[in-house]
Amino acid sequence: MNAISKRIAKRQRVERLDLVFSALSDPTRRALLSRLAEGPGTISELAAPFKMSLPALSRHIRVLERARLIRRRVEGRVHRCWLFPEALSDIDQWLEGYRGFWGAALNSLAEYVERKGSGGSNRRE
Amino acid sequence: MSSAKDQAAAIGVSNSTAALVVRRRIRAPASELFAAWTDPAQLLQWWGPKGVVCTEAILEPRVGGAYRLGNRLASGRVVWITGEFERFVPPSELVFSWRVDGQAGLAERVTVQFMPAGDSTDVIVTHEHIADATTRSEHEMGWVGCLAGLSRLVADRTPGAQSS
Repeated sequence: MNAISKRIAKRQRVERLDLVFSALSDPTRRALLSRLAEGPGTISELAAPFKMSLPALSRHIRVLERARLIRRRVEGRVHRCWLFPEALSDIDQWLEGYRGFWGAALNSLAEYVERKGSGGSNRRE
Repeated sequence: MSSAKDQAAAIGVSNSTAALVVRRRIRAPASELFAAWTDPAQLLQWWGPKGVVCTEAILEPRVGGAYRLGNRLASGRVVWITGEFERFVPPSELVFSWRVDGQAGLAERVTVQFMPAGDSTDVIVTHEHIADATTRSEHEMGWVGCLAGLSRLVADRTPGAQSS
């Protein structure tokens, strides 16, 4: 992949991640995902536990769809939704990336102060 | 199956503040570690993982102060990390925004706590991806860890829902 397409891919990943985090920032949407983790459901089935109008709930569903966290299929007059867990792998990657980064940074900090403590203050290679 | 439901249920109710937490006990006093983190001359010496060299460190050590860190990767490319301090409490706590290469979209937020543990200090880094201002004020980021677990467990399930 050349430098330009790498940059585009990276920006798309950042935007997707922003969409996912935005989608997840709402407790109703998180609850919807919990419910869908147990199996697919129609909009009416999903709306049942919430004291919310169907249009309001549909708006939440659309946000989750735009973030690619769920997928929807129209079956006659019924819209059935599924969890689409691949979107969550973007979060996984983000977590793993930074977990590695911060783990290594703290190791470096530890080595630095412990080297100082033992009398030396050599610059790290 | 019951652990799957437990995991899923945790998503709906979690309201803890951590998105990603990394901690390490270091044999040094908190004041020394706080200084290492906020003194540009020291940051130049330790900042970053192995293979990454800190090329430049500029920092205004106060709330609202800005910081700027140059990170030279093995490839030679320099990545800039920038942000501002939201909290600056020596020797206990730093909270700052975090942007890599002036990234578009929403900034992230890092909290570093230095907690005394005898002769040592527990350094605790919390890294949050802030979805929007509402989320930032409501501290509703605990679900990220739960969701990472969810994606793994859903991937393990026999797909009926995943085949589309």
